[in-house]
Amino acid sequence: MIMPLDHLMSRRPVPFELFDIDILSAGDAELMELSTKLGLNLSVDEMRMIQRYFAQRMRRPTDVELQSIGQAWSEHCCYKSSKKFLRDHIFGLSHPDVLAKGDAGVMAFDKDHAYALRIESHNHPSAIEPYGGAATGIGGIVRDVLCMGAQPIALVDPLFFGPLDFAGELPAGAKHPKYLMGGVVAGIRDYGNRIGIPTIAGGIWFDERYAGNCLVNVGCIGIAKRSEVVRNAVRGTGDVLILVGGRTGRDGIHGVTFASAELHEKSEEESRGAVQLGDPIMKEPLIHACLEVNSKGLIHGMKDLGGGGLSCVVGEMALSGDCGAVVDLDKVPLKEEGLAPWEIWVSESQERMMLAAPERNVRRILDVFELWDVPATVIGKVIKEQVVRLSFHGVQVFEMDLDFLTKGPEYCRPTCVQEPPALIQEEFPQLPRELTSALLRLLSDHNIASKEWVVRYYDHEVRGNTVIKPLHGKLGLRGPGDATVIKPLDDSFRGLAIAVGVNPWFTSLDAYRGGQASVDEACRNIASVGGVPHSLTDCLNFGNPEKPERLGEFREAVRGIGDVAAALGLACPSGNVSFYNETAKGACLPTATVLGVGIVNDIRKCVTTDLKQEGDALYLVGDTRQEMAGSALFRAFGGRGGDVPGVVPAALSLSMGCLQECMERQLVRACHDLSDGGLAVALAEMCIGGDAGVNADLSGMAKLPSAVKLFSESHSRWLVEVPRDKENEWLQRMRAPSCRIGTVGGEMLVIEDKDVLVDVEVKELRRAWSEPLWKVMG
Amino acid sequence: MSRDVRVCVLRIEGTNCEEETARAFREVGASPEKVHLKQLLHQCPKDMARDLSSYDILALPGGFSAGDYVRAGAIFAARLRSALSKELEEFVRSGRPVIGICNGFQILVELGLLPSLEGVMSVQPEAALYVNDSARFECIPTLLKHENEGSCLFTRTLPKGKVVMFPCAHAEGKLMLPQEREPALLKRLEDRGQVVFRYVDPQGRYAGYPWSPNGSISSIAGVCNPAGNVLGLMPHPERVFHRYTHPDWTRSALDPSGDGDGRAIFQSSVEHVRSQR
Repeated sequence: MIMPLDHLMSRRPVPFELFDIDILSAGDAELMELSTKLGLNLSVDEMRMIQRYFAQRMRRPTDVELQSIGQAWSEHCCYKSSKKFLRDHIFGLSHPDVLAKGDAGVMAFDKDHAYALRIESHNHPSAIEPYGGAATGIGGIVRDVLCMGAQPIALVDPLFFGPLDFAGELPAGAKHPKYLMGGVVAGIRDYGNRIGIPTIAGGIWFDERYAGNCLVNVGCIGIAKRSEVVRNAVRGTGDVLILVGGRTGRDGIHGVTFASAELHEKSEEESRGAVQLGDPIMKEPLIHACLEVNSKGLIHGMKDLGGGGLSCVVGEMALSGDCGAVVDLDKVPLKEEGLAPWEIWVSESQERMMLAAPERNVRRILDVFELWDVPATVIGKVIKEQVVRLSFHGVQVFEMDLDFLTKGPEYCRPTCVQEPPALIQEEFPQLPRELTSALLRLLSDHNIASKEWVVRYYDHEVRGNTVIKPLHGKLGLRGPGDATVIKPLDDSFRGLAIAVGVNPWFTSLDAYRGGQASVDEACRNIASVGGVPHSLTDCLNFGNPEKPERLGEFREAVRGIGDVAAALGLACPSGNVSFYNETAKGACLPTATVLGVGIVNDIRKCVTTDLKQEGDALYLVGDTRQEMAGSALFRAFGGRGGDVPGVVPAALSLSMGCLQECMERQLVRACHDLSDGGLAVALAEMCIGGDAGVNADLSGMAKLPSAVKLFSESHSRWLVEVPRDKENEWLQRMRAPSCRIGTVGGEMLVIEDKDVLVDVEVKELRRAWSEPLWKVMG
Repeated sequence: MSRDVRVCVLRIEGTNCEEETARAFREVGASPEKVHLKQLLHQCPKDMARDLSSYDILALPGGFSAGDYVRAGAIFAARLRSALSKELEEFVRSGRPVIGICNGFQILVELGLLPSLEGVMSVQPEAALYVNDSARFECIPTLLKHENEGSCLFTRTLPKGKVVMFPCAHAEGKLMLPQEREPALLKRLEDRGQVVFRYVDPQGRYAGYPWSPNGSISSIAGVCNPAGNVLGLMPHPERVFHRYTHPDWTRSALDPSGDGDGRAIFQSSVEHVRSQR
């Protein structure tokens, strides 16, 4: 793997592979060559910082030390390009219910319990090896939640691919979107189903700009007793470090540095080894054993081994406890003999966790792991000095100050923001004369059509707590859902509503409004089922941050998320940034995925999207505006320019408050948010799930062209079914703008606005919406 | 006060429905315990060792035991058979209730405890739960018609002909009997009252795909042994213990916190144990 730069690298006369590297005398060109040859992916400035550090200590670094810095200073690990913007707009969001910010955020659930949440990306590995990449993505996010002391209870997977029928030219080395989607879904299915954590929400988005840049975002929610929430840190000297779970091998070497660069045609050849191998049947008992030693009070800290492997976990755990550590690399259980110490140190082999525990508890901890046949080994101990030292075969191969190693560089790179499209005159597309056919076309758009093909692959009910499922409606008919609800505690009706929000098209046209859109959508989905939005975790997938326009999109999207979250008083206790989602053919759509979690006071009052009762009234809540830019209609029929929908947080907040009050009083029989395809698509979807028709008349809405009323994607809007005998009470309590637009009944969806606009059988709507993905994927 | 009804909820790595299965037994007043196979084999610290004979009910929950990388349930069954077959056979002969749900059903078939065509426990499996006709993992609601005449200890509180909704989540649930003797063996199962549940559609008719998610012979979803104390079924009654986990509860006038369709299974077996004292 290493091609020694002979004059700079000298092999030490020890019975294993160890190199001393003479960077002290290296010039810039040689430093860069070293960075490349060793796979460090560091810049010349960063290499110079390292040079200075070792010059002060008057010694040459070992390959183990340089590799360790390469991991710790990667974009993936230290957020060097993004931190400034996150600090400006997200980190400052304070919330009294935030209990911890570690590998996952932890929020108060009730007086005795907490929930943990986190979302991250596994984009590059999934582009190379979709099945394994997605599976180990799930594995990683589950460990992030587990290491807070929380039992994982739900998985969420937003996925982004090129069009399934993509016939264009893919970037060199890239795989076809249909192949990628098949592999990714199978990877999530086989891993998630085996570890017994329900996959309950997510979504799939398709666009040409994801061809070659597929995105695999993986989220996890967990539940814990507040008293058992654990730190990702050692407590102090006297603690030993216990490595538990899978063995360490050559899989997953340089995963983080690979994730911190653009994909190119040689990526597969060079980086296949960066994709880890997942083993759900090691993970499943690992979860049991880790939670058991934690709830028995045997450990002081716990952290997962993810990006950078041991090299990151040891330093971060020790430093968080204001300590250092010594580790004996000989003790690490290996998959095969002959690994060099740097490989053991940076390997990202899966299913591993690190425990910090007092020495006196070691025997009892090992017993718990022994019952589950999960390896557990003491590999080191905590020391007072904030230094990490490694030995291998009795030789010290590594000694570094933690402050230098883990702090990493931070950049304020230049940004540049494009003009929003509102400055471009709206060009409304030519629509078919029969708007019914436009509606059917949108329902069949893969971005809108039913995802049942995927949903049925995932066990969304294991653990027996899924109260509101991903698909709603009459048994066997399966219309769409907005949010999924989990009832995490046996003796309480309190629930968690979980939903995703993201609109990459809005973000690409107006990144600030795109960021706002993610939060609005997650919130309105949560409100739809009867939840009160409580916290967010974001996964920000963007292109190369060294390009000012890419970083400009990032900056604006983060500002949009932060502004709405702040206005609504939401917490954002965790998140993830993924840059370099870019190939020679261009960047992915800027994709600011938000995973929102809401509190449901009483799950028995939850509401689903399917229409329920003939004669009930239908109300539209929220203001509709001429905001067509980036809409599904414009994308399908070729519209240009116009306004990207903006968010008015006060209006969103008022509407959600009123909706929640009305649901509490059981004045709402069904509720569905308006998103892709606007009012027309939302109405159709409610009909599909409920197997009921609607007679709608839009003339009571604000004066707008009929096609705008039907297809505008203005935010903060819902359709609500109100029981006939409760309309008066509804009208009293709904203080947000609302408008009666129709009545439930019959077998047809008929929409009028002076003229009849849409006139179609529910059966036909169902066919258009339900079948497309089955047809392509088989 | 009567003695606790002790339920052994048996697990190994990859068993993953033990929490909700144990909870279901707990909510009908029994005392379930999640027990690792190694505890029954005494391969553990002394205070954790357990004996199968000390339990009143044995439950094999769903999941992917040992990963199900061979045939589903085969590895768990092989470990049980090699170390514990005498105790298991004794447990069944004593008439104590044994239930296998989903992966548990697959294990019971691999063990030869079901369909129990010849004797209590066959040396070789007499049937198979094969890959679904759709070749897909299917997580969907299924409707089951109760077909048992009253022999099955787990369905005594369900009237014959009653249709219940238990959801499915499996890739290998197609019950198959040896092809050359299929009609005769199916008739034997029926004659001896061993068919407990069949998949039906919303009109109550015996169903094909997707209401039968797997293409099982004669739409069979669950079978018991001739004595009625061993039940195996692919759908998950523990997932619909309460009404609020039924997929369409928001469409129903029933109290969401009321009983779900699955409760009857756990209730019946625990009541049976109590009635025997």
